[in-house]
Amino acid sequence: MFSRMILKTLIKQKSKMLMIAFTIILGVSLSTAMLNVMLGVGDKVNRELKIYGANINVKHKDAAIISELYGLGVNDKFLYEDDILKLKTIFWGFNILDFAPILEGRVILSIPGTNNTGSEVFINGTWITKHAVLSTGEDLNTGLKNLRTWWDIQGEWLDGNDENDKNFVMAGKSLAEKFNIHVGDAIRLSKNGVIKNFVIKGIFNDGGNADEIILTDLTVAQELLNLSGKISSIEISALTTPDNDLARKAAQNPSSLSPDEYETWYCTAYVSAICHQIQEVIRDGVARAVRQVAESEGTILNKTTLLMILITILSSIGSALAISNLITASVIERSQELGLLKALGAFNYQIIFLVLSEIILTGLFGGVIGYFLGIGFAQIIGQTIFSAYIEISHIVILITGAILFLVIITGSIPAIRYLMALKPTEVLHGK
Amino acid sequence: MPILELKNVSKIYGSLKALNDINLSVNAGDWLSIMGPSGSGKTTMINIIGCMDTPSTGNVILDGVDISKESQSNLTRIRRDKIGLIFQQFHLINYLTAVENVMLAQYYHSMPDEQEALEALEKVGLKERAYHLPSQLSGGEQQRVCIARALINSPQILLGDEPTGNLDEENEKVVVDIFRRLHSEGVTIIIVTHDPEVGDVAQRKIILEHGRVIQDIDQRATFGEALKLKGA
Amino acid sequence: MANNNKRKMYLRLITRSLIRRASRLITAVLAIAIGATILSGLVTIYYDIPEQLGREFRSYGANLIIMPSGENGINENDINRVKNLIGREKIVGFAPYRYQTIKINEQPFLLAGTDLEQVKNNSPFWYIEGDWQNVMIGREVAEVLNLNLGDDFKIQGVKFGGQAEASNQNYSAEENKTRDFGSQYFSEKLNVKGIITTGGAEEGFIFADMKILNDLIEDNFKADVIECSIIANASELENLTQQISKAMPNLEPRAVRRLTQSQDIVLGKLEALVLLVTVIVLIITMISVYTTMTAMVAERKKEIALKKALGAENRLVMSELLGEGILLGFVGGALGVFLGYEFALRVSLNVFGRGINFQWALIPVTIIVFIAITVIASIMPVRKVMEIHPAIILKGE
Repeated sequence: MFSRMILKTLIKQKSKMLMIAFTIILGVSLSTAMLNVMLGVGDKVNRELKIYGANINVKHKDAAIISELYGLGVNDKFLYEDDILKLKTIFWGFNILDFAPILEGRVILSIPGTNNTGSEVFINGTWITKHAVLSTGEDLNTGLKNLRTWWDIQGEWLDGNDENDKNFVMAGKSLAEKFNIHVGDAIRLSKNGVIKNFVIKGIFNDGGNADEIILTDLTVAQELLNLSGKISSIEISALTTPDNDLARKAAQNPSSLSPDEYETWYCTAYVSAICHQIQEVIRDGVARAVRQVAESEGTILNKTTLLMILITILSSIGSALAISNLITASVIERSQELGLLKALGAFNYQIIFLVLSEIILTGLFGGVIGYFLGIGFAQIIGQTIFSAYIEISHIVILITGAILFLVIITGSIPAIRYLMALKPTEVLHGK
Repeated sequence: MPILELKNVSKIYGSLKALNDINLSVNAGDWLSIMGPSGSGKTTMINIIGCMDTPSTGNVILDGVDISKESQSNLTRIRRDKIGLIFQQFHLINYLTAVENVMLAQYYHSMPDEQEALEALEKVGLKERAYHLPSQLSGGEQQRVCIARALINSPQILLGDEPTGNLDEENEKVVVDIFRRLHSEGVTIIIVTHDPEVGDVAQRKIILEHGRVIQDIDQRATFGEALKLKGA
Repeated sequence: MANNNKRKMYLRLITRSLIRRASRLITAVLAIAIGATILSGLVTIYYDIPEQLGREFRSYGANLIIMPSGENGINENDINRVKNLIGREKIVGFAPYRYQTIKINEQPFLLAGTDLEQVKNNSPFWYIEGDWQNVMIGREVAEVLNLNLGDDFKIQGVKFGGQAEASNQNYSAEENKTRDFGSQYFSEKLNVKGIITTGGAEEGFIFADMKILNDLIEDNFKADVIECSIIANASELENLTQQISKAMPNLEPRAVRRLTQSQDIVLGKLEALVLLVTVIVLIITMISVYTTMTAMVAERKKEIALKKALGAENRLVMSELLGEGILLGFVGGALGVFLGYEFALRVSLNVFGRGINFQWALIPVTIIVFIAITVIASIMPVRKVMEIHPAIILKGE
């Protein structure tokens, strides 16, 4: 009889219950969408922040920055090109998004057909774009192009293909202005008797020191400088977790950690942990965090996540209040019918049980629909803003479910109190 | 000259004939009760007389005007001017005081006038309760407010729908006394009721069954007595 | 007079209905106020995001570099003019640098004289062992010279205008020493207060206060370069560099493309994110307010039927509901605007540690929006009632 009564109310009160269900759908979809976005936003924003370029730099352990500062000479200590792809094999290899080796050197630039017969300039050889298939079968596409998103290119980027790039170079804007060279011009580079002719394929504007250099494919630079298989440094862009106290302690000296702490640290994507792991695979390499990028990234990430959390909490509260409001209003509206039940001899708890069951059933119905709608909303946000799929977190079901249950119960409390005080006679005599 | 005339009025809901070819004529100053079992068409009749519904066929002539084909908004206007309604469940607005409830009818009719509304309450003996909310009034008092509200715009017909249905005997007597006084002042009264005692105090009584008038009883002979009997 | 009476009764009806149904109305006002809070709060945050997050992006460091176009350095006069041109409220950090070659143990190093406080504003990402004060050395320098916190080291160099002369191998050590202490040379003992780690070129410098450097070389203030951190997007910064180079041809400002371009992209995405979230939250909130109001009004079906039975025309009943809606929307909306400001302020203080600019235009906008929602929500469900015969007031129900 009880279930029949619930069924009847649900059907008879269709429009009312539909409205509650509708509000619940809206509220739940809002919370689901916001929670999913909130939980995913760290990762997404982190990826966006990668456009600031590399946050880790690997150099030979004996290479001093000082010598570069004065242009006193070029290091004679090198890393090995063969080691580069091992980066993807470290524990956090999946978090390494982009990387590019750089070979630095100095060559003599001369421009055929002009009276410029030789000035010393800096040259950087790199992987412009690199396609490789790892031993794990994973396809890899990376290169410097991904690490210099802010460059403004006149002409074109180098191809990234050794064969096609053999006769081309790119020049920095300042260097190009200084020597009055343009896209399409021919230049000659030489070093210790090795002489090669090139055509300028593109001129880049970096807005920084890189505007003074000539950029070539890694192989070209290695041949010119006679340093085959050697590189000076590797720039790496990795997804990292913002530093905390543990990470700072570890960055000072990993051996100061207790075994447990070491375990936690090693298995968290702190920039210091990733650096540590990189050093394990790059022979003679020292990996250092580029604090300008790594640290700032953490700041922005933390703020954005906090912002989203607050907005999520507040809007969830908002929808919770709206739902509980509506439940209260609708139960009170049915007082007449419920008063009749009382007159027929129903106990308070029976009526309350009846009302609660109806609303919980409605809530379940609305909750399920709202959940899937919310996932849809989250994907709309993900696609529109980040052009990426937002991971669905299953914990959201639990959180939303718990919130919904609480909301339904709190929303029913005023109504229940009202019902307890209700006198059947008052109701039936048309008040 | 009759103030209300029903000529061959029928009301059909699907296959159900709620009213079946009714002919009725009520003169100004008459006191008519309409009785009959549930489902006999009483409510449909009151809806039509009260300008809240129109017949499927036939004519209703109220105060010389045929209202059977009027539009809803015209009916509203006619009802406002000519009909005073009294409900079984009083239907006072619970957030307005007694006098405000009376003024509400004035407001929709023409112009609210608190003084006049108070006088109307005085007529039903409720002057001192004028500023109470309906929840502070007894059932009988609420019904008297309802009557005051019905009278405030001096309607041509006072139409009651089970006006004593929710009242105890004592209050019933008070209300009937008010009707009697109104009748002596010349107000036309039409009351639908279940209660034979209330039906008997009228000058004339019709009994409906299955949408037809099966009896039309002239009670003028016993009119005064009935009241006395009841009063005794 | 007559009309006056009628208007008075109208107001009386509305206010009575609102006041005497207080407990129900609290629900309605609450619903509207919550909606209005979320609206005004989120919109306030949305408007403040570029400013607030823009400041956070300044943690990436200086985005404008100003160099002298000629041989002469930048003097204090120029600095004041530049600051005015930029607008002082937009400046997060403004650090002039003067570089001086010095020798420590006969090895050359670069000493950067600057304003250490401003450097901290510019580059909050520097990691300092020890204190952020005179004198700090880069980690590279510390390793090369094997210096630790608290150690003393001696710097030597040429005074301003003096002739720098490389140590001549022909001179004896004794002679070298006397030359170094001649009137054109200076020598000073400094103490390591902080060691800098950045992962960048800064690790090869020694940083001291500009005044110390000027005293040592006996020269007036003169900067080789100024690093500025300015709250601006790429195009604003571009305008700024043009303005500066036009107004002060002796300077050559350069925007740091890497930071400006990237900031525009990331900030753009974040703004779009907050906008989209705001819009979705708003739509849902408004629908919630609407459904709550609808539920509230539906229960007055009977009352409306009664009024119609008493002869009220639709127009009049409508205008009563309208009046109530306007009042409710106004009270709820007004309440919500201020709660919303509080909400935005809390969020801003928690996330950014700063207050927030209140958008005054939000007050009327929020109130009007919620009056509209309330009125629509009150009238829509009632429209159906209007079509129902007033006869329902009789026995039915």
